[in-house]
Amino acid sequence: MNSDQHPAVEIDHVSYTYPASGLDAQPVSALQDISFKVDEKTKLGVLGPNGGGKSTLIKLILGIIVPNQGKVKVFGLSPTKARAQGLVGYLPQRIESDLDWPISVEQVVAFGRISKLKPWQRLGKNDLQSIQHAMELVDVLDLANRHIGSLSGGQLQRVMIARAIAGNPKLLVLDEPTVGVDIAGQQRFGKMIETLQSELGLTVIVVTHDMRAIAAMADRIACLSRSLHFHDAPQGLTPGVLAQVFAHDVAGVFGDIHIDAHRADECEDPSHTIRSGCGCDEHDCSDQGENK
Amino acid sequence: MNTLALLQSDVSSPSVAPVIFAAITIAILGGALSVFVVLKRLAFIGQGVSHAAFGGVGIALVLGVHGATTMGAIGQLAIVIAFSILAALWISALTRISKGRTDTAIGVVLSASMALGFVLFTVSEGGHEHDDHGHAIEAHQDEHHIIEEILFGNILDTDWTKAGISIGFSLIVLMITWFMRRRFIFWAFDEPVCDAYGINSKRTTDIFLVLLALSVVMAMQITGVVLAAAILVLPGAAALNISNRLSNVFGYSILIAVIGAAIGMLIGFQADYPIGPAIVLTQSALYVVTLLMNKAMSRLR
Repeated sequence: MNSDQHPAVEIDHVSYTYPASGLDAQPVSALQDISFKVDEKTKLGVLGPNGGGKSTLIKLILGIIVPNQGKVKVFGLSPTKARAQGLVGYLPQRIESDLDWPISVEQVVAFGRISKLKPWQRLGKNDLQSIQHAMELVDVLDLANRHIGSLSGGQLQRVMIARAIAGNPKLLVLDEPTVGVDIAGQQRFGKMIETLQSELGLTVIVVTHDMRAIAAMADRIACLSRSLHFHDAPQGLTPGVLAQVFAHDVAGVFGDIHIDAHRADECEDPSHTIRSGCGCDEHDCSDQGENK
Repeated sequence: MNTLALLQSDVSSPSVAPVIFAAITIAILGGALSVFVVLKRLAFIGQGVSHAAFGGVGIALVLGVHGATTMGAIGQLAIVIAFSILAALWISALTRISKGRTDTAIGVVLSASMALGFVLFTVSEGGHEHDDHGHAIEAHQDEHHIIEEILFGNILDTDWTKAGISIGFSLIVLMITWFMRRRFIFWAFDEPVCDAYGINSKRTTDIFLVLLALSVVMAMQITGVVLAAAILVLPGAAALNISNRLSNVFGYSILIAVIGAAIGMLIGFQADYPIGPAIVLTQSALYVVTLLMNKAMSRLR
């Protein structure tokens, strides 16, 4: 199958609502009629407030959840298929691995090959080469034999990126990779992503709520707050659009921007999802807890 | 050979070979699985499943399956295995429904199964009273014998048939675990990202719990319900005290399990202590030794 004919990711009129989690709970709409494409070998930044549906979007692209409406395609395949073929690498937001495990850096990176190996197969020459190369690219080769629990936060993150790329994916999904990283660190991270992209021909999707970080990491940006607000090069990202995406959170940063509460209705209208920059009131955008 | 025949055979030279073979194989199984149990923090699930097995015994009794004959023992084992697997999967499902509260799920399943077990014991006793009197008394003694065996184990009861079953199941579980080692290690190390890497975390959890339930039932053959979880925890916990390398941890764990079982049996046979508890005590002692080694090593560094 020639995946080159397809965009890396195609989201077509996708909506997702989390079911109510108890008698006294309401279903929570996380995404409403989202449509966009990510071309191969581009770096898309997805920017949005907490609860804006970013994690939901990632779960849809990874095929962990299935949309209520619409279609998600990854390289023209269903997300589950794309994942099973090892086309997708993923860096989680929080590293929840058990760091007490008696396991070395190299062994952790080797997990990236797991979807490529049948249960009875041992790591072959190809696998070992990919693992080495992945560690080289993120500069953790000298840590290969270290115990995973002995690393610093930054080193650990690079090891997890090495794990994500060890399976030679074509798409790399990064969930909030620069939380708590200073500006210099963000720049370095951006450079590293650029290196990975050019070396491996990756398509990259970075999800973040950090406006400063995104410029260093992405060449296209989608703003997500339940619906899609903007989708273009970072230069087009004006304070006005950001203010609308983040509701009044941003107002303090960019000055006194008034947000019309009644424009929240426009979020429901699919015709406004792209480039319309429709505003949502605070209740709409910021309190849609990102459901686990 | 059934229990009665074993008891009537020459007591001064009891047939210890099947006991030793069964105990060592089950110890190896415990050694391998305990690494996952400790690292994935499943010790309490083992405890829950072993106690839940009591419910399985109750069902076996109500169905009229007694452990006094070889066929009865096999039937009882089959029912206990089925019930334990159901209990493990029930714990897993309840954990998902109750948003990851494993302790609550275990609490529910453990108490419900034990309560069911006791109710069914009573029901089956009540049923016998309507039979002819002599038969009821015999069955009654049988039940007490079974309860005691289930709670505290009676490995000396092991003939070659029982040993063969234990060894067979243990080898099957070991083989499946070996086959799935990479998946289990990834799952236990980093369950939250499993699905993103193409490993179905739900299915992996359930497969491991089925293997764990089988292992618990095998461990019960040595130690009974009360101590079964111990031999599925102690070796791994001890090995993790002395090594930071995964392959070494598995090696040490199996070694510690086997040494513990061997010394435990030796002490048990020599001093006429109950074998199961003697094995658990020896493995506990080895755990303390490795803990001291750990402290000593970190002081030397």
